[in-house]
Amino acid sequence: MNRRTVVKGLLLFTGGLVLAPSCVMETSKASIRLRNLDISGEDEKLMGELVETILPTTDTPGGKTLGLHRFTLKMVDDLRGEKDQKAFMAGLDGFKKLAKKQVGSSFVEASPQKRQELVSAVNAGKAPEDVVAFYRMVKDHTITGYLNSELVMTKLRVYELVPGRYNAYFPVKTKQQS
Amino acid sequence: MANLNVDSVKQRTFDAIVIGSGMSGGWAAKEFTGKGLKTLVLERGRDVKHIKDYPTTNMMPYEFEHRGELTAEMREKNPVVSRCYAFREDAMHFFVKDTEQPYVQEKPFDWIRGQQVGGKSLLWARQTQRWSDLDFEGPARDGYAVDWPIRYKDLAPWYSYVEKFAGISGNNDGLAELPDGEFLPAYPLNSVEDYFKKQLKSHYGNRHVISARCAHLSKPNQIHLDQGRAQCMNRVICQRGCPFGGYFSSNSSTIPWAERTGLMTLLPHSVVQEVIYDDKAGKATGVRVINAQTKETTEYYAPVIFVNASAFSTNQILLNSTSDRFPNGLGNDSGLLGKYVAFHNYRARITAEYEGFQEYATDGRNPAGGGYIPRFRNLHKQETDFLRGYAAGFRADRGQESDTSGFGVDLKKQLLNPSWGIWKVGSHMMGETIPKAESQLSLSKTRKDDWGIPLLNINLDYDANDNKMVADYHAQMEEMFTKAGFTNIKKTDSHQAPGLDIHEMGGVRMGHDPKTSLLNRYNQLHACPNVYVTDGACMTSTSTQNPSLTYMALTARAVDHAVSEMKKQNI
Repeated sequence: MNRRTVVKGLLLFTGGLVLAPSCVMETSKASIRLRNLDISGEDEKLMGELVETILPTTDTPGGKTLGLHRFTLKMVDDLRGEKDQKAFMAGLDGFKKLAKKQVGSSFVEASPQKRQELVSAVNAGKAPEDVVAFYRMVKDHTITGYLNSELVMTKLRVYELVPGRYNAYFPVKTKQQS
Repeated sequence: MANLNVDSVKQRTFDAIVIGSGMSGGWAAKEFTGKGLKTLVLERGRDVKHIKDYPTTNMMPYEFEHRGELTAEMREKNPVVSRCYAFREDAMHFFVKDTEQPYVQEKPFDWIRGQQVGGKSLLWARQTQRWSDLDFEGPARDGYAVDWPIRYKDLAPWYSYVEKFAGISGNNDGLAELPDGEFLPAYPLNSVEDYFKKQLKSHYGNRHVISARCAHLSKPNQIHLDQGRAQCMNRVICQRGCPFGGYFSSNSSTIPWAERTGLMTLLPHSVVQEVIYDDKAGKATGVRVINAQTKETTEYYAPVIFVNASAFSTNQILLNSTSDRFPNGLGNDSGLLGKYVAFHNYRARITAEYEGFQEYATDGRNPAGGGYIPRFRNLHKQETDFLRGYAAGFRADRGQESDTSGFGVDLKKQLLNPSWGIWKVGSHMMGETIPKAESQLSLSKTRKDDWGIPLLNINLDYDANDNKMVADYHAQMEEMFTKAGFTNIKKTDSHQAPGLDIHEMGGVRMGHDPKTSLLNRYNQLHACPNVYVTDGACMTSTSTQNPSLTYMALTARAVDHAVSEMKKQNI
C-alpha cells in the first residue's frame, strides 16, 4: 500500500471520535466534555504528548493526530469506575511531578527525547506505583483506540465487516512476514 | 350503541391468538396464518422490522462511541443484564434493562429478556440440535420429573419441517444421541478441532466432536430465498440483527412470512395481563391486554390461544389468569403450575493451548462457532454418581498477536505487524439440571409492576447433582485435553447464577397425567384444551440440547393439532 496516501488523508482519521474543539480554546479547560474527570487544557496537552510518545507519528499518523488522548480521557471517564478514575487522576498528578523532577520542565515542554526517556522508565515500571497504574490505563486505551481507529481498520490492518467466507484450513507461514 | 359494541367485539375477535412473537410465537403465527386463520399476535415490546430496525447492523467498530464496551453507568444500573455476553454496545437496545421490568430473586437468578417483536430470536446463539429418545426417555428411566408424553418419533417429522424452513447447517453424523436432520452444508471443523475429534475417537470411541449445527444459511435453498433471506456472510455479529437474514430469527423469517398472508395482526406494546376463562362456556375465550404505553385495557377473543411469552413470562401470565374455576392460575388443577422449573448448567469452562498445526490458521469467520460434543455421560445406562450428563462446546482459535510490552516506534510496528500465535482451545459445559418441586415460580403478593401485574418470584438454585457434574466435566475434559497433548490447561467454575444460560424451562410441563402435569402430549392445558403452551415453559426436562429447535418443532406440531381439533369442533 501507498503510505503517503494515508498521511495525506490523515485528516479523515481522527480516531473515529467526533469531538469538535470549542472555537476559542481556553487553556484552563479540556476540549471535550467529561463528566467525572477534572481535566484542564494543560492536562489534555500532556495526554496528547504522552499518547504520541506511546504511538508516535512515523510514515503513518501517531496517537496525537488520531486523537487517542481525547479517546483515552473519554474511555476513562465513561467506562471506568470511580476507583480507577481516582487512581487515574492521582497518577496523572504524579506523572506531572515526576516529569518536573526528572526532566526539569513540564512533560509538554520537554524534548521528544526527554519524553521518551521518561516514558521508557515508566513503561518498565521504574516509577512510583500510582504513576505506573496511570500509565497502564493510558497505554491500554491508546492501544485499543489505535487498533479500533478508522485508519487502522480500513487501511493498515483491515477489518472485514462482511467476510463472506470461512476457510477452516488456511495455510500460513509461521515466521513473521515483513 | 349496541351495534357499535357488536362491531367492536367483532373487530377484536380472531381465529387464533398468539401471545409472544419470539422463537416459538413467530412459528405459531406462521403456521396459523399458513392454514388460513386470522391470527392476532401480541408482543409486549416494540416492533422490530427486519433490517429497517437493526440500527447498528452495518456499523464498523470505530463507529461505536465506546468501541463496543458498556459504560460504568450502564453496568452499575443493570448488573443482571450486563452479565450477559451479548449485552454490549452494539446490541444493548434489544435487551430488557434491569430497571425496566423488575422481578423478585428469592434466590439469585439472572433473567435475560428480549422484549420486542422477534424476542430473543434476534439474540440467540443459533445452536440447533434435535433431541433423541435418550433425552425423552430420561425422566422415566432415571426416575425424576415425570415421563414425557411424547417420543422422538412424534417430533421427528416436525423437526424436519421446521429445519427445512429455518435453514439449519450441519452434517449427518449418524449418532443415536443426536439425530440427523435436514441440513444445509456444515461449517467445517478447523485443523485443531478435527485433530481433537480424531483423538477422542481413538481414545474413547464413543465420544464425538461434530461441526456445531446452527441456524445459518450456509447455502440457501429456494424456500429461504422466498423468505427474502440470503446466504450467511460470516459476519458473526448476529446479535445486531442480520441484513442478509443469514441466520434464523422471527424477524427475518416467520413473522414476515405470516405478514405476507394478510391474515396476521401484529400488536406491539401489548402486555398480556391474563387469559380470560369463561366459567359458563368452560373454556378460555380470549386475553386481556394492557397497552404498555397508554395503559389502556382491551380484550381480544379467539377460539384458540397459544401462550409463547417466553418460559417464565408464560408462567407469570398463567398464574395471573385466575377465575372461579381456576383460582390458582389457568389449568392449575394439579397445583404444579410454576413448579419443576429448571435450566442448563453453564458454569464450567476449560481452556488450553496446542503447539501443533503451526502451518494452519483460519480465514474468515465460522458462524457455527466450532465443534459440539454431544452428551456421552450416562447415555445408555447410569454409570456415574450423578444423574444425567452434559454436552459441551469445543473450539480452537488461532489469533494474530502483538508484543505490547514496549512503546514508541517499536510498539507501533508490533501492532501493525502481528504474528500468528499458537492455537488456543476452549470448551464450555451445557449440563442438564433436574427439575424439582422446590424450584418454582410464584406471583409476588406485595409487589406489582407498572401495569399492575404481580411481579414474578423466582426460586431455583444449583444442587449437589449440578456440582458433581461440574467436577466430572472438568475431570473428563482435562483427561481428554491431556490425551490430545494440549498444554496449559485451565479449569474455571464461574458460579454464575442460574438464568445466565438463558435456557430456563418448565413450570407448565407436559405429561400423561393431569394430576402431575399441566399440558398433554399436544401442549394443550389438560384442564383448558383451547389454550396451548409451546415455549420453554412446556418442558418436562431440559436434557442438554440448545432448546429453541425443539420449541419450534413442538409449536408447528401443536398448531397442526389445534387446527385439526377446531375443524373437528373439539375445541
